[in-house]
Amino acid sequence: MIELQSISKSFGQVKAVDKISFTTREGEIFGLLGPNGAGKSTTIKMIMNILTPDSGSILFNGSPLRESDKDRIGYLPEERGLYRKVKINQMLLYLASLKNADGSAVEKRLDTWLARFDLSEWKTRTPEALSKGMAQKVQFIASVLHDPEFLFLDEPFSGLDPVSTDVLREAVLELGSRGTTILFSTHNMEVAERICSRILVIDHGREVISGSVADIKSRYGHNTVAVEFDGVIDFGSLAGMVRNVSRFPRWVEVELLEGASPQALLKCLVGQVSVRRFEVVSPSLHRIFVELVGGPGKAEGERMGGTA
Amino acid sequence: MSKLARIIRMEFRLTVANRVFIVLTILGPFLIAAVTILPSLLSTSVAGMGARATKIALLGADPRFVQEISPIFQQSRIEVSAAQGSAESLDSQVRAGTYDGYVVMPADLSEVTRLEYVTTSSSDFRVMGVLQGVIGKALVAQRLVKAGIDASQVASLTQVPVFEMRQLTKGGEKKENPDFITVMVTGLTLAMLLYMTVVLYGQVIGRSVLTEKTNKTVEIMLSSVRPMDLLFGKILGKALASLLQYGIWVTISAAVLKLIGPRLGISIGAGLSMGTLAYLVLFFILAFFLYCSLYAALGAASEDEQHLGQLAWPVVIFLVIPVVMISSIITMPRAPVIVGLSLFPLTAPIVMFLRILVGAAEPWEILVSIGLILAATIAVIWLSAQIFRVGILMTGKRFSFLEVLRLVRYR
Repeated sequence: MIELQSISKSFGQVKAVDKISFTTREGEIFGLLGPNGAGKSTTIKMIMNILTPDSGSILFNGSPLRESDKDRIGYLPEERGLYRKVKINQMLLYLASLKNADGSAVEKRLDTWLARFDLSEWKTRTPEALSKGMAQKVQFIASVLHDPEFLFLDEPFSGLDPVSTDVLREAVLELGSRGTTILFSTHNMEVAERICSRILVIDHGREVISGSVADIKSRYGHNTVAVEFDGVIDFGSLAGMVRNVSRFPRWVEVELLEGASPQALLKCLVGQVSVRRFEVVSPSLHRIFVELVGGPGKAEGERMGGTA
Repeated sequence: MSKLARIIRMEFRLTVANRVFIVLTILGPFLIAAVTILPSLLSTSVAGMGARATKIALLGADPRFVQEISPIFQQSRIEVSAAQGSAESLDSQVRAGTYDGYVVMPADLSEVTRLEYVTTSSSDFRVMGVLQGVIGKALVAQRLVKAGIDASQVASLTQVPVFEMRQLTKGGEKKENPDFITVMVTGLTLAMLLYMTVVLYGQVIGRSVLTEKTNKTVEIMLSSVRPMDLLFGKILGKALASLLQYGIWVTISAAVLKLIGPRLGISIGAGLSMGTLAYLVLFFILAFFLYCSLYAALGAASEDEQHLGQLAWPVVIFLVIPVVMISSIITMPRAPVIVGLSLFPLTAPIVMFLRILVGAAEPWEILVSIGLILAATIAVIWLSAQIFRVGILMTGKRFSFLEVLRLVRYR
């Protein structure tokens, strides 16, 4: 169990993290969400004791992190790096040995992980010729090879192709089901929605919302409609019944104003486009995120909306 | 095995398995031989430097006198000849290069107190010195003979006694003291050894720390080990590799010199007592670790190799200072400035070693000096660890050293 009690961190005038508190439960997958520069990485670095908080405390199973606790933690930093001149197996075993894990069990795990990520042929080669995505998978192996109880992943999915994203997501889910407590940061809401049991959204260093994904969705779950269509919608004609629209080329997610009925919206749309699907849904995490963090006119939110 | 030991092992392996390291280890002794033996062979004779004999005209000199002294001049590769005519004509001959210079010899040499040497070169002290010595001695001999002294006695009568020093130590014992040249050569040996090593391995260690940043492996490492462990491990691993290399070099060089040395007339280890050798090794190792940790700090503070180079050059100055001051240190080993330099960690290894050689260092001074070097080494490694941590906050930006120190507080 990891417990953050009101931790803050400033760099000069900039308040990177402002009174953040949360507790992860044993064996859960906890998502730390927020736009770029929200303070996610700073928070994880403080948990890893790489940075020291200005105030507040971080507890591991009730006591501050000791040097020996580091052996029970796996960490994938946001800054990815590998020793370029060292063979991949040599390097991975070295990093595991620095967590006091060695022997045949580790070597066996190494082969399993390499095979799983389709990297077996790279085992005795240096990482110089690895692609960015492959290097990222090697680094992920480095963070789990010593079979840690806690796993901290800073933006683990950024820069991965869809297939690799799936493989990595499967791996994270499997580790979670085996009891590893996983804390990961991302701005990719789709992934967070699929694998997190609970999330904390932060922006400008402050907590925006926290709780289980299901709770949060139901809290914001009134009057959202997903529409799939062919044609062009005149959004001007929807004024008066719509509060917010997330637009995509072939579908939109619409949040209705208080009192507006989905039926009225459907009627209005039918005259304009050919509707292929019309569904009253709970909002996606993406939608909630943009509303909480970005909202109209906030550049960061717009950018976030575009990347998800 | 502790984590520190694992880091040391990895760094040692990485260094030793490097192709450049292996090539340098094998070729090193030959390079050293080329650097040390060739110049000494060349500089022992003027001819070796490729210079032609210097031609000096003695204007108005007695040809018999010239004949008498010319064999002595020939030892110094100077050809003297008697010349007649005006000073003006000789001036033009010197300018034309027929002669390198000329000395105006008055007809009556018995009373002369000054002689004029005319040359185009403003710095030929060697020729000037030889002229003064040989002609001066010959003139004094002439005068003595004129005053009625037997010519065969002149040499023994004009022989100036040679001074030898014997020093009394506090305990009342007398002991032989090494002469100025031996002290100087031994001190320079330490300085050169340090200089070469620091330039070679200091850079290696600085770069090794830097690559943790450029490879972006810092955070992975710090999630497992303490920054101090990482830096100690790097310094010790690289240092062990370099000491291994030195061991190989010294063994090969000693073997080669023992085989070939006598034929070339070079002796090794002359004038080095066991005690001196022990101090040499001690101060070498102390200085080596201090400078290595300094380079580690610079590696932690710099952003790329070019930046490291810029930050690193002032470090070498502290090795050059004692070399520049070497004769002052030997002649005034108890002067306050020298004592200060022998305690200041960066200059202490060479300066204190020299003071010990001339027997002018109190035991407590030696201990304080060693203590300060050790304390400085640990302080520098601690500082590098702080800078290293801070380095995570400042990727891609170049910071001045003061800014780095300021950032250390934000950690």
